[in-house]
Order: sequence, then C-alpha cells, then structure tokens
Amino acid sequence: MNNHSAIYTEGLTKHYGDVRAVVDLNLDIQAGEIFGFLGPNGAGKTTTIRTLLDEIRPTAGKAWILGMDSHKKAVEIRKHIGYLPGDLAMYPDLTGKDTLTYFANLRGGVDWSYVDSLAERLNADLDKKVGNLSSGNRQKVGLIQAFMNRPEIFIFDEPSSGLDPLVQREFQNMMREVTGNGCSVFLSSHTLSEVQHVADRVGIIRSGKLVAIESVAELRSKAIRRIELDFDTMVEATVFEAIPGVRDVVIENHRVVLSYDGKMEDMLRVVMDKYELINIRTQEADLEEIFITYYREEAATA
Amino acid sequence: MMLANIFTKSVRDRWRGTTIAFISLMLMLLFAMSIYRNFDINIYQEMPEVLKRIMGIPAGADVGSLAVSVFLSGAGAWVLAGLTIASGSASIPSEESQGTIGLLLGNPKSRTNVLVSKAAAMVLLMLLMIVASWGCTYLIAKILGVNLGGLSVGALSIHLLVIALFHGFLAMAIGAWTGNRGAAAGVTTGVMFISIFAVGLLPLIEGWENVAKVFPWYYLNGSEPLFNGVNWGHIGILSASIFLFAVISLVGLNRRDLKSQNVGLTLIDRLRNYPMTQKIITRLAGSTRVSRIWIKTFSEHQTLLSITGYVMFLTGILIGVLYQFMPVDTMMQLVENFPEAKTIFAAIGGGDFSTPEGFFQLEIFGLMAPAALMVVGIAIGGRALSGEESRNTMGLLLANPVPRYKVIIEKSLAMIICAVITGIATFAGVVAGALLGGLDMNIANVAATCLLVTLIGTVFGSLALALDAAVGNGRVAVFGSIGIALVSYIASSFLPLSENLAGFARWSPYYYFLGGDPLVMGLNWGHAAILIGLTLGLIAISVVLFKQRDLRYTS
Repeated sequence: MNNHSAIYTEGLTKHYGDVRAVVDLNLDIQAGEIFGFLGPNGAGKTTTIRTLLDEIRPTAGKAWILGMDSHKKAVEIRKHIGYLPGDLAMYPDLTGKDTLTYFANLRGGVDWSYVDSLAERLNADLDKKVGNLSSGNRQKVGLIQAFMNRPEIFIFDEPSSGLDPLVQREFQNMMREVTGNGCSVFLSSHTLSEVQHVADRVGIIRSGKLVAIESVAELRSKAIRRIELDFDTMVEATVFEAIPGVRDVVIENHRVVLSYDGKMEDMLRVVMDKYELINIRTQEADLEEIFITYYREEAATA
Repeated sequence: MMLANIFTKSVRDRWRGTTIAFISLMLMLLFAMSIYRNFDINIYQEMPEVLKRIMGIPAGADVGSLAVSVFLSGAGAWVLAGLTIASGSASIPSEESQGTIGLLLGNPKSRTNVLVSKAAAMVLLMLLMIVASWGCTYLIAKILGVNLGGLSVGALSIHLLVIALFHGFLAMAIGAWTGNRGAAAGVTTGVMFISIFAVGLLPLIEGWENVAKVFPWYYLNGSEPLFNGVNWGHIGILSASIFLFAVISLVGLNRRDLKSQNVGLTLIDRLRNYPMTQKIITRLAGSTRVSRIWIKTFSEHQTLLSITGYVMFLTGILIGVLYQFMPVDTMMQLVENFPEAKTIFAAIGGGDFSTPEGFFQLEIFGLMAPAALMVVGIAIGGRALSGEESRNTMGLLLANPVPRYKVIIEKSLAMIICAVITGIATFAGVVAGALLGGLDMNIANVAATCLLVTLIGTVFGSLALALDAAVGNGRVAVFGSIGIALVSYIASSFLPLSENLAGFARWSPYYYFLGGDPLVMGLNWGHAAILIGLTLGLIAISVVLFKQRDLRYTS
C-alpha cells in the first residue's frame, strides 16, 4: 500500500450471500484530489463507501485511509473524515443546530464560527426540526456536519440530491477550496453532471467491478464530437465512413455532418488529402454520452 | 397477491405479529394445562367464593376450565386487545407519519375506502386468530387428555373477539380524529388497564359491585361465557360501541386535514420559542439533550418512561389505599385452613393477601411491576441499535470517532437509568400507598423488592440488546426477548408446583426476583448479584456481537 494515499484499496471485495456487490476493487486516491466515483444505481458505490467506513467488513481485500487500516484503525480514521451518506437520515425531533451539536460533542467540539459561516454559505436554517425540513434543506445540514470538523478526507454519497443549482455551485466551490488546502474528496454519484465540473479523475463502477479510471481531461478527449465540415465541392460519404471513429455521416451538398471520437488530426489528414476544406465547426464534447456508453458496454457484457 | 389492494396489504403488514401472538398464547395454554394436570386441583373447590373470584377461578374449576380461564380470558384477552390496539391506532396515523398517505390517496381511492380496508383487515386477522385459538384449545386438551366437556370455549371466543375489536376500533377512532398514533394507542391502553383493574377490584368492595358494569372489560367475563354461553346482551352492548367508533372514525378522518410527515410541535418546542423561557429550555432540551449518546437515548424514551413511572406510582398508591377494603379475615382463615393455598397464590402471580405484603405482591410485584420494567428494558434495549440502523442514522453516528463498544455501553446506560427511574417510581408509589393506607410494611424490604424488579428489567433489556447486537433486527430482538421472558415467567411460577421440576425454576431470572420473598425476607444479596451479573454479562456479549457484524442499511 501507499502511505501517501488518501484512500487506497487492494482487491476490495464484498459479497452478500451470492450477490457480489463489490469485486476486486483497486483504488488509489491522492491528497488534494477530487475523485468522482460513478456508476448506475446498485453498482456497488454505497457498499464501497460503507466498507471504507468499517460499517461493513470486506469479504476479501483491504482498504487504507491516510495509511491506516480501515478496520483496525476505524475510530482513529473517523477523526479525519467528513461523511455525507446517501439517503441522508437524521433525527427528526432534533433541530439542525441540535443535530450539529450532537455530532460536535461526539467529536469533542468544533469551531462554531466556522459552522456559522458554513450555514451562511449554504443558506441553511438550523432552527427548524430536521423532520420538518425539505430534503434539500436537510441535505444542507448534512453537508455542514461533514465539513464542520475540518476533515482531511470527505466522503460524499450522492451529495447534490435535492440541492438547488445555486447551492450546488456553492458546494462545488467548497469542495475546490478544501482540496486546494490538500484535502481529498471521494464523490460518489450516478450522474456525471454532479462530478464533471469538479472531479480530477473519475472511476466508473458497474456490477461491482471498476470498469475505468480516467482523468476528466482524458475522458473529454475521448468523447464523441459532432462535427460539420464545408467543402468547395460535392463529397462522397464513403470517404468519411472509412475513417476509424467516424459514424452517423450525413451529406448535404457541400456539407458533411458526422460524429467522431478520436484525434482530430487523424481525421483531417485523410479528409484534406481528398478535398479542399473551407470551414469546420465542432460542438463541445459530450461526456454524458461516453459515460452512458461505459454503462451500456458493461451492461452488454454483464 | 398480498399487494392486490389496501385490504390485502394491511393483512400482509400485520399477519406476522398476529401469528407470533397466537403461537405464544397457545404455548402458554399448553404449558399451563400440562402443569395444572400435575397437581391436586381439588383445593380450588374448597376455597371461599370471594377468593375464587379474585383469582379468576371459575366455580367448579377443573384443569381445563382453570387453564382456559386464566390463559384465554386473562392473558389471551390482553394479547388480543393489544394486537387490535396496535393495528387500530396505526391504521391512518402510521401512513401519515411515514408520508405514504399522500401516495396512497394519489390513487383513485377515497379516505373512507382506505379506512374501511384497514378496519376489515383488522377484523379478519382477529377472526382468524380467534377461530384458530378455539380449535387449538380443543386440540391441546385432546393431546393432554384434559376434559373440556361442558365448557363453552366458543362462547368465550366470541366475547374475546368483541372485546378485542372494541379496543381496536376505539384506537382507530382516536387515530382517525387526531392522526396521532401515540395518543390513540396510549389512551386506549389506558382505558383497557383502568377497565381491567376496575372490573377486578370493584366487585370486592361492598356496594360497588354494579359500578364495574360501566367498564367495557366487564362484558368480557361478567357473564362467565365459558360456563354460561354467549351473553348476547353483553355482546350487543360492545357491538353497538364498535359500530359507533367505526362511524366516529369515518367522520373524523373525512373532515380533518391530513398530516404530512412533519414532526409536531411539543410543549418543549413552544417553550423554546418563547423569549422568557428560550434560554433555559434550549439549554435543557437542546445542548444538554445532545451532549452524550446516553442522554440523547434517554431523552428519546421520556414519554415511555413518564407513562410507566406514573402508572407504577399511582398503582402503588391505589393498592395501598384499597387494601383496607379487602376481606383480610377470610383470607387469614383460608391460609390457616389450607397451607397449600400459598403455593397456588404463587402460581397465579403473587402471595396470599392476608398480609399487605402478599397483596402488594399479588397486585403489583407478581406481574405488573416486572411487566412494566420489562417493557422499559426491552423497548430501549431491543431498538438500541436496530432503531438507528433502520433509520439509517447509525452510519452517520459511527462516522464520528466513536467506537462501537461505546455505543453499546451508552445505550445500556440509558436503558439502566430508565429502569432505575421506573423502579424508584414503583418504590415511591408503594411507600406512599402503605403510608396512606396505614399499612405496617418494612420500607427496606420494599426497597429491596424494587431493586430486584429493576434488575429484572435490566436483565431482559440487556437480553434484547444482545439479540439486537446479534441480528440488528428490532422485531426479532423485542419479540425474542418477550418470548424468553414469558417462558421464564411461567417457568418460575409453575415449576415450583411440581416437586420433580421445582429445581429447574432456578434457571429462570424471575426466581431471583421473588424466589427469596424479598417483601418479607429483605434483600437476598446473592440473588441481586446474580441479576447484576446477568445484566453485565449480556451487555458484554452485546459488545462482542456488535463489533463483529456488518451494520444494516435500509435503502
């Protein structure tokens, strides 16, 4: 294992009877990194988090957090962790303030001026009973409790659910700030949009298996682009269809519209050998498309 | 199939509890019949009538009638009414508190339709249980060779059905009007207990015999249906009440606003919002309440604690005051003439009441106090872990640097403190009752008995905690420990009646409660030490079990 890793897992596996919830998971998340952990519902994301937090014990493999064994040093580890569970549930009879006081007491105290500043940033109402808050407002209380002890590692399970776009943006800013200070964020989600603006790398899990780990930049370079090319003459579809990575070719007189995943240079070389290119327009790479492709491919092989 | 409509889903939600209650009841009946078979029942025939009445022994009792009366019209009626109260009080309020009522009524179903379906499910389950118990009673009697000839078990069953439904529909009506499940269950249970008490004690006081007829419980056994058949007049009175409650339920539900999942405002919340009291109440109800896991757990159970504490305190006073009305001379004579009577009193759940100690033992310490303490212990212990797990708050709790053993120890501490407070309330009630009634009782011995009954609560509370720590399922923990508690209660009450089996009573924790006759003999330190040891041992086992297992997660 690596002592410098924020989170490190080696062959982490969890079975529930015959159900293989997580299979042979290897992760290495560095300090200062936001790691997006993506996968469809039921892929094993929450099981992974619960294993990291020692809520459940792995069937095989091990995990280390800040170099400490996730089971043997579970209590010590939790001093350095801020956690927001998915399907956040809290004590409905307590107000937001009471809830935070309870967890603060369990941690031996927190800096309340920091809590107040977090509440202000997220526009959270801490005087109402948690049971009377909307899910988004409840989520804010959950976020504050995750941040309030200034942890080194944040583990978020579907953190944006119920949050309005303004609060989502503020939350993203908060994540960037803490990682700027050397903290790490493990951000689990089933939607790419929740992580693509902040994550440095993403891991994609499907049916308990990690199917890819890539930087967001790499993903973007691989993503399918929609390209429009204008030529000075009529063109033939077969020329374009023969280029690897090109699909959905549509010819309209002197214009070609196509989808392409690959290096732009490779395609242009072939095209410009044949025709004189007048104009080119591309649309932003669609990450969601590649993300869904990962899900589908795995679904097909599963 | 079971989810075809609201009616079948309601049956599906409730059939497990009903089945468990049915099996427990039949096991108790089997146990009672087999024990009664082994000792000389003739003693009952020679007892004065007044005594038979107090002990619920029918005239001309034999093995069959005694077991059926004590276990069907006694414990059985409690269990059945308890089931319908749970079902009736939950009908609409539980859908409201779970936030599912909106979803349910989003379908083309009226409020009336929902309520009628739920009521029908309650009636069906009760009917099935009654019919099954009726059949099983004959089956058990046949297996054991006990003669039930001349007894109208069927008539008793009809009375049982109607009294159970009376309470179920009362709870349903309160729930339909208020949307508050706790209020519905609490008020109806209160009505039931007051009613049982009144019907048991009022006929003993001269000139008050007829007042008992005001109370619904009177119509269960007032006409002795086991011997005299169905009293259709009594059934009619209860049925008319049931019909009335059903109408009240429908009117109430259709006229009020439905509640959302919101948490209601309590008195404390209002005081917290009021400027004069804000500071102090916030300190007490806010920061102090959440300062430790045990304090928070304790505060979550304050309603349970205040109800049980209050009931035990008042009962203590009531019993002390009532003792002067008891036919003590007759009792003393009886005990002189029939030394065996003492043994039989013990089997019924208490001592002879020719002495105040015996009366307190019969009315409070024999059954009520251990039951109250067990309710407190098991309710807290059995849900200590699974309660947080089913609400998905355990993950959040343990995301803090809190070791699992600490959670167990703090939750146990809350359970023990609640048991101690209930024990103190019982002690205060009994002492106050003794003083008001001018009874000469040894206060130290009362304290000893209250200490031992408190320890019974902590033993079964820790047992429930251990089961919860093992499986993380509150239902298994609660029902499992209630089952074990019932078996050990019956074992310690009945095994001493049989010479060969008397030794086995020592395996029951109850033996270490009343076995040393603490109200008369004072504290048996050895017995107290055994109960303390059991409590601590079970808590230690809980620590080991909880440490080993995966947390449960409800998705």
